[in-house]
Amino acid sequence: MYCITDEQIDYILNDIRRGGIETEDLQLNLLDHICCIMEQELKEDGDFERLYHATARQFYKTNMRELEEETINLLTFKHYYAMKKVMIGSGALSAAILTTGSIFKLAHWPGAGILLFAGIVSFSLLFLPLLFVLKAREAKSARDRMVTGLACLLGIVFSLATLFTVMHWPGSSMLWFSGIGLSAFVLLPVYFFTGIRQPETKLNTILMSILLIGITGLQFTMMNTRPSTSQTYVRVQSWMQSEALLKAMQTSHQSEQAANINALCEQIKSLAIGHAATDPVHELKEGRPGDYFFHNGEGLQLIARLHQAVTAYNSQHNAEMIPIENSLLTADPEHLGHVYSNVSILSSITQIQLYLAHAENNGLASAK
Amino acid sequence: MIFSSELIKGTLKTILLKLLADNSKMYGYEITQKVKEMTADRIQLTEGALYPTLHALEQEGLVTTQIEYIGKRVRKYYSLSPAGKSRSQEKLSEFADFVNTMKILLDLDLKTA
Repeated sequence: MYCITDEQIDYILNDIRRGGIETEDLQLNLLDHICCIMEQELKEDGDFERLYHATARQFYKTNMRELEEETINLLTFKHYYAMKKVMIGSGALSAAILTTGSIFKLAHWPGAGILLFAGIVSFSLLFLPLLFVLKAREAKSARDRMVTGLACLLGIVFSLATLFTVMHWPGSSMLWFSGIGLSAFVLLPVYFFTGIRQPETKLNTILMSILLIGITGLQFTMMNTRPSTSQTYVRVQSWMQSEALLKAMQTSHQSEQAANINALCEQIKSLAIGHAATDPVHELKEGRPGDYFFHNGEGLQLIARLHQAVTAYNSQHNAEMIPIENSLLTADPEHLGHVYSNVSILSSITQIQLYLAHAENNGLASAK
Repeated sequence: MIFSSELIKGTLKTILLKLLADNSKMYGYEITQKVKEMTADRIQLTEGALYPTLHALEQEGLVTTQIEYIGKRVRKYYSLSPAGKSRSQEKLSEFADFVNTMKILLDLDLKTA
């Protein structure tokens, strides 16, 4: 029997490594296996290298790496079915939770926020990544895998953007814009130029690309349907006119109750103006006030206190000195965030102060 | 005649488990030789199928391994774990059922085959 030398062992091991076998266990197994065959078949004067390559050649169809891939495949295949089940389960569950959450939100039932949160989180952080992992396995080329990855990433970004918008968290418009950018400038070109080259996917690619452009365009339009800047300008100016009138009407003689109401109003206004206090006409951007205003925030508490103070004032004067109907005091707190912008909050509060100043002035006049 | 690798693929785990149940410990090359010998060369396990399957069996905890140094190289011996022993029984009876079912399905007469 031939005895393999140490140099020959190194030669074989190096060749196996070069062939793409990275798992150490597999390297050693193959090395021993080849050595066994060589020791059986090689004659004392035989050509080592030629026999080695002829032997190794029988192990695979096109290249040695197949063995490595097959091993990894078998090792991970076990989880494949479990992953598939979790994917389908989480997908169905998050769709169900999302739908229920939306219905709750529409009907103003408690728990809508939690349901939407859980639905979107499980959809974007469980279902979509699993979908990517499983679909990437089936992808035929690296490009296909990249398209799948980009599409899943886009889905995650859009889901999170929706979540941020619904929860009034800061940063939602950043997410929307990056999602739209990703869709228009990365996913679309990559998808289009990957698919258009293959005749069998050409038609589908064109159709899907048109759909994607349409959806991205619609989302971009949605992003831009906020009050135009010139309108905001006019509305801020008209509010400032009212403010000027208010200043002219206010006198230093006012009742304690009136002073209290005015103080509350000023606090709410400074919250709504935010950082734009120095030059509201140019700096105030119309939009929904942030989270601080609506979720157990200061703004809502102040509005509630103002409501009480105004009601007390009215009942003490036995008349509706300050009409609270159609003001933001009677608005449903749940709706406030969707209906009132910061500018409309300012206007509504100043109106209340104008009524108050009017009532106080009248009271002073009759007292004289 | 040599059986096609497609036919062998589905039964490879069963073959390996049964061989390891009958022999306390075996290494890769030994397994291929044993199968060749027992089947008079009609079943030849390919290395490309054998080693990935052995690794999978090891990861599932059905076989345990033992390393032996032979000069500069290493030989890995495989033997059944307790879980592997019961799985080997299951696999064998499953395969026997399968053969009986195929007999009915394909209308085979095993005695003359």
